[in-house]
Formats: sequence, C-alpha cells, structure tokens
Amino acid sequence: MSLMLPLTVSCGLFGLGIYAVLARRHAVMVLLGVELMLNAVSLNLVAFDTWWADTLHTGQSLTLFVIALAAAEIGLGLAIVLALFRAVGNADIDAQEPPASMLAEGGDEL
Amino acid sequence: MTAVTVVFAALGVVTLVSAFLVVTSDQIVHAALWLVVTLGAIAGLYILLAAELVAWVQVLIYIGSVVVLLLFALMLTRAPSGPGSATATRNQPLAAVVAGAVTVGLGAVVWAGFGGEVIDEDEIRIGTAERLGDALFRTWVLPFEVLSVVLLAALVGAIVLTRKGAR
Amino acid sequence: MTRRYSSSAVAITAVLALCAAIVAFPRLGDRTGPYGSPAGERTTLVDGGDLLGVSVTFYVDHLSAVMLLLAAGVGLMVQVYSLAYLAGDPRYRSYTTIIQLFLVAMATVVVADNLWLLLVGWEVMGLCSYLLISHHWELAPARAGAVKAFLLTRVGDLGLLVGIFAIGHTFGTYEISEVLAAMASSDAPAGLTAIGLLIVVAVVGKSAQFPLHTWLADAMPGPTPISALIHAATMVAAGVFLVARLYPVMAESAVTMTVLAVVACVTMLLAALLALTSGDLKRVLAWSTVSQLAYMFAALAVGGYDAGIDHLLSHGAFKALLFLVAGSVAHVIGSTALRDMGGLRGAMPWTFATGTIGFAALAGVVPTVGFFSKDAVLESAWHAVGHESPVSAGVAAVVLAVGLVTAAVTVVYAFRAWWMTFMGGDGATVTGAGATGAGAARAQALREAPPLMVGPLVLLAAATLLLSLAMPFDLLMGLVTTLVVAGAGWLAYQALAAGRDPADLLGPARPAFTRELGWDVGYDGAGVAAREAGDLVVATDRDVIGFYPRAVAWLSVQLSRVLTRSQTGNAQIYVTVLAVGVLLATLLVVVR
Repeated sequence: MSLMLPLTVSCGLFGLGIYAVLARRHAVMVLLGVELMLNAVSLNLVAFDTWWADTLHTGQSLTLFVIALAAAEIGLGLAIVLALFRAVGNADIDAQEPPASMLAEGGDEL
Repeated sequence: MTAVTVVFAALGVVTLVSAFLVVTSDQIVHAALWLVVTLGAIAGLYILLAAELVAWVQVLIYIGSVVVLLLFALMLTRAPSGPGSATATRNQPLAAVVAGAVTVGLGAVVWAGFGGEVIDEDEIRIGTAERLGDALFRTWVLPFEVLSVVLLAALVGAIVLTRKGAR
Repeated sequence: MTRRYSSSAVAITAVLALCAAIVAFPRLGDRTGPYGSPAGERTTLVDGGDLLGVSVTFYVDHLSAVMLLLAAGVGLMVQVYSLAYLAGDPRYRSYTTIIQLFLVAMATVVVADNLWLLLVGWEVMGLCSYLLISHHWELAPARAGAVKAFLLTRVGDLGLLVGIFAIGHTFGTYEISEVLAAMASSDAPAGLTAIGLLIVVAVVGKSAQFPLHTWLADAMPGPTPISALIHAATMVAAGVFLVARLYPVMAESAVTMTVLAVVACVTMLLAALLALTSGDLKRVLAWSTVSQLAYMFAALAVGGYDAGIDHLLSHGAFKALLFLVAGSVAHVIGSTALRDMGGLRGAMPWTFATGTIGFAALAGVVPTVGFFSKDAVLESAWHAVGHESPVSAGVAAVVLAVGLVTAAVTVVYAFRAWWMTFMGGDGATVTGAGATGAGAARAQALREAPPLMVGPLVLLAAATLLLSLAMPFDLLMGLVTTLVVAGAGWLAYQALAAGRDPADLLGPARPAFTRELGWDVGYDGAGVAAREAGDLVVATDRDVIGFYPRAVAWLSVQLSRVLTRSQTGNAQIYVTVLAVGVLLATLLVVVR
C-alpha cells in the first residue's frame, strides 16, 4: 500500500478543517473544524508509525495524546461557547463587538 | 493493488466526503452527525493501518464522548439548530481559496518527500493494547503524567467557565 | 501699607547701601585709568570652568566703587523720599521691593566680572524699570511708556548679547578682568570694531541715545523718585558704565569711537533742544538726562575717560536732586506741567533753595559740581584736538563745538525751567497761556513738602556742592564755559523778563521740536515694517516649513486609516491572514 494514500486523506481532512475554521459563522462549527484538523494530524502520525514499523510506537502514542488533548480542548471550547452565548445571546464568530477604533476620532487637527 | 488498498481508498473517500458535508452543512446538528461518520471512517483507517488500540480509543472517546458532549452543548445553549443555523461568513471565498492552497501545498510537500514510499505489509507491527501500553508506561510515562495534569486543568477551567455568575 | 513695613524696607535698603559702601570704600583710592593691567580685586563665587560654563565672579575696582556708591546713595535717598512721596499708595510694598531688586541688579552689573552675570543684572534692570515705570498701571501713558522703555532697551540688549558672544569668541573668555588683561598685554587682539559697535548698540538702547532716545522721556508717567533712580544712578548710567568698563576694547577701534562721538553729538544737541521746548518739568529733566549722558559718551569717545566718569558721578548727584525737587513740586501742586507752576519760591523755600542748586549744576554754574565735570568733558575734547586720541582731531573739534553750543542751550532750558517753576507769578506762565490757579487760595494751600522729602533734597544738594572738591579744574575752559553760561543766562533772562518763552528763540522750528520731531512715527513705521517682516516669516514657517510636518502627519493619518480597515475585530479574518502567512512562509522555505 502506498504511503501516499493515508497522507492524501490527511491533507484533504486538514484543508477541510481549515475551511471550517475560516468560513463558518457558528463557534461550534469552528470547533468541529479544529477536530477535523486534529484528526488529520492523528492519521498522519499513525500512517508514519506503521510505515516506519516503529518498535516504540511513537506515532500511535502521540495519537493517543492528541485524542486526549482534543477531548480537553473540546470541553474547554464548549465551555467558552456556552459562556459567550450566555453573555451576548449568540455564538457568532464575526458578530462580536469590534475594538473601538483608535483613529476614529481626532487626527484631523494636525 | 491489494484488497487492503482498495478498502483503504474506499474508506478514505467516505472520510473526505463526510468531512466535506460536515464543513458545508447548514445545520449544526447535521454537521455533528456527519462528524460521527467521518470519525468512524477514520477509526476504520486506523485499523487498516494496524493501529488497533488507537482505533478503539478513537471510537470510544471521539464518537462516544466528544460528539455527545457537542450535542449536549448545542442543546444546553438552546441555540437555533434548525436549517440555516450554521451559515458561512463573508470570508467564505477567501477561506475556500486558502484551504485549497493549504491542501495543495501540503499534498505537494508530502508528495515531494514521500512520493514513492510504500508500506511493507510484511513488516507491520500491530499496535495492540499490550505493545502500546508497554510504550506508554515505559518510554512515554512522563508526557503521559503531564497530560493528566493538562486534563485536570481543562476540567477545572471548564467548570469555572460554565458556572453561573462566573462572569 | 503699614508704618513698620515701610521703615523695614528703608532699613533693608540702608543695609544694602552699607554693604556696597564696605565693598566700595577700599577701592576708591586707586584711580588707575582704563589702561594697564587690571588693578581691581577679583572674587570667584562659582567657577564655571571652561568657556561654556558661566562663572559667578566679581571684579571691583575704582570704577565699580564709584558706581556702587552712587547707586547705593541715590537708592537710599529715593527710598527715604518715597516714604513720604508714596505714603498711602496701595502698591507701596511691591514698589520698594522692586527698587531693592533694581539696586541689587545695578550692583551686580557694576561688580560683575563675568559678562553673562553682567547681562543678567542688565536684563533684570530692564525688567525692574518696566515694572516701576508702569507703577500706576491704571494710567494708559504709564503702560505705554513702560512697554516702550522695555522694547527700545531690548533692541540695545540684543547688541549686548551678540557683543558678549563676539567677545567670548575673540578673547576666549567671558571674564572682564581677563579681557582687560589681554588688552593690556603686548599681543592684544586687533580688529575689535565689530565688538565695539555692538557695545555701542547696547548702550544706545540702555542710555537712551539717538536714535533710541525717546523712551526715557516717555517713562515720565512713573513715580518721580523712580525717575530719579533711573536717570541718576541705575538704568541709564549702566550704559556709560559699560563703555567705561570695556574702554580699552572700545578705544582700540577708531571707527567705534567716531560712531560713539557722532551719536553723542547728535543726541546732546537734539535732546537739549527738545528739553528747551518741552512744557512739562519732568520731560525737561528727562531730555536733559539724555543730553548729559551724551556728554559722558562724548567725553569717553574723545579719550576723556576720567572726565566721563566724573560727569556720570556729578550728574547722578544733581539729576537725582532735580528729580526729587520736581517730585516735591508735583507732590504739592499735583501736576508736572510747567504752566501749572510759578512763584513757588515763597511757599517752598527748601525746595526752592535745593532746586536752584540743582539747576545751577545742570547749567554748569560755578561752584557746583556740574561746572567742574562739564568743564572736564569739554577740556578733554579740546585736548583731543591737539593730541593723540581715539578719534581724529576733526571729530574732536566737532565734539568740542557741539558741546559748547549744547552748554549754552542747557543754560537756557535750565534757566527757563527754574524760572517757570519758582519765579513768575502765581500759576502764571511766561508763555501767556493764562493762570489756572485761583491766586490767593492756592497760595495758602501751598506749603513745603514733608521733612522726609526735604531731607534727601538737602543731602543731595550738599553732595552737589561738596563733590566739587574732588573734581579737576582747568582755568581756560572754566573761563570759556563761564562766559557761555553768563551769555546764555542773560539771553534767557531777557526773554523771560520780557514775558516771552526762551523756546521761541528757535523761531519757526519750535513746533517741530514740541512734537519731538515726530520720531515716534518713525518707530511706528519701523514697527509696522518689522511686523510685516514677522508676518512673512510666520507665513513662511506655516505654509512652507510647516507643510512638511503637516504632510507627514496627514500621510500617517491616511495610512493608518487604511490600516485601520484591517483591524476589523473579526478573529476569522485574522486567522485567515495568519494561514496565508504561514503558507507563504512554508512555500518560501520549500521552494528554495
């Protein structure tokens, strides 16, 4: 089996994850995108572990760590989304208050 | 072309298609359910790559806990979850271009590095629970313990964030 | 004002005067003249190090001692006099305090060794004179006179400032004693004309010489004791002092001394004629000060160093006396206009007696100090005609001629002012403008000034007479000037006795002099021109030079406006940019 097969799937997953992070409005969808990217990385790790026939199983061990971290991340991420929803009534990434523009006022008297 | 390759390719297609549906679905709940399909297909890929324990962990933790947690969160927020609840922002075209470029770039780099490499099916060491446990608790025991601290911190953080009046 | 405060103010001035006397008396004996190695005593309080540092150093010689005693004596007299003159004045406190500051500044000028220290005292004097002239700031003429004095002396101060820089550049030191030592040594620097001319500019402004002569007369709305202080001992005397102090530097250049002589000649005659035509006692005295200062400069210009200093001293005594007399008169009749006066000799015997001595000294009548010192000035001009001097014989001859003519004019205007003040009928005027007072009632209201005012008058009158003992005497010139005085006095008496104003002797030119030749119009023209030039500079600064910073600022604002667009607050766009950046960075690494 060619190594390129899992790697290609991994690249595709990563790209889709990036798209979700950059394009979706809802914060939960962004978290889903992050999960996809983490899975892409995990798949990569496992594929290289197998290809290398590693006796220490470095790749698979790291995959387990990544899964644990992903669980922690989604827990915290959802907590943040919940807090955000409670605070402002929605969970839209692009609807949050922009910072007050420093040059909106003044600057013309020069 | 072996049977493993054919099954792998098929599961890979399922993974990518379902992942595409995850990121393009306009309902959050649908996206979450499509994510289940994606994660399950990836678990299948792990098995084909002889990563037995990882596959089970994937199913147990990702499908069993992460996605369920997600659905619970969606219910708790009482956010709209029907059709049109998960629209794209105006950033969508740029995001598509960037995502495409990243995919192509990564693919090109990987191809340049590992284009002709083949996984020798005779050499494969199956990642059983015994072997992985051996590696984890001998070689990787320190990162493992550190990770437990990280998980504890995440637990505390999540409780603090979601507690009422925490603002 | 409380009684206790006013007496303590006088006490402070007395202590200052005592200190000045203690410093000055030991140096009075060694009269060495301007040339030769510096004979004075040098004291260093703060050593500023090299040329860039400002040292606080003092240099006391005979000249400083004379000036110190003059300033301290006149200052003390003025302070005592002001007790009565300004009794009940609401601003008496600030008045006396500024007088003390004025005296300290003058003392600083005369004892300073470092030129920057001298400049500090010089400028503080300018400030004090501004404050004191505008003492009655509720009156518009006082304000205008103060501003005029301040601005015109500022013109001269600019010359002093640049002159000090030039001295430092040429001599490598700002210490006067070191400059004088350098001039006395064999390798004295040459080509000091520029420095000399800058000093001339400085003293022309400070001592109200032509063409900056008008401020002194316009300073008359100030309290009369202040006029005495400014005219006799401090402000204007500082100009003469500066020339005397830097005399070797000035005398090195014939051009400088010729310019000084010409300025002095023009000023002395012009101011004497203006004094002749003035209808105000204080203005007469003010113009006479300008004229007498010109005598001093003339003496210095023709090489009569001692004559100039002596005349400064004697003028300080009799001009302080005359101003205080004028103050007494004004205090009693409430006016300084000559036509409001007349016949005061009976009502004010002490003022009349001391005033007579003062006017006699101004006119140069034997045996007052004015006679001797003016003779010495004219004698030094006569000497310069026949001997080597800083100026050519021709210039010295002009100085002598103008000096003699001015002496005659001085006699006429002094006699005229004296006559119109003390002689004549009650409030009657020789010009026939009519009486303003109501005869007998007015005469009853008139009485002698209070003792605190008469006391200083008597002391100064005594000084006017006794200082003669210290003056040199030249028989020939004494005879000449006595003839001039007698002739001019007879002329003036004839006119006055006939009921005419001696000023009419000027004939058709009189109205022009009464208008003071319209000189202020010229100042205004210069002011307008200067303001237009200033507007041009401002416009250049604003529209040409200012354009660049404004353009840079405008560009920055516009650029930041563009950059602000990127700061949308949308995290997704930030992440997108981040992803693009990472992608490009990766590509850069991989492709290479």
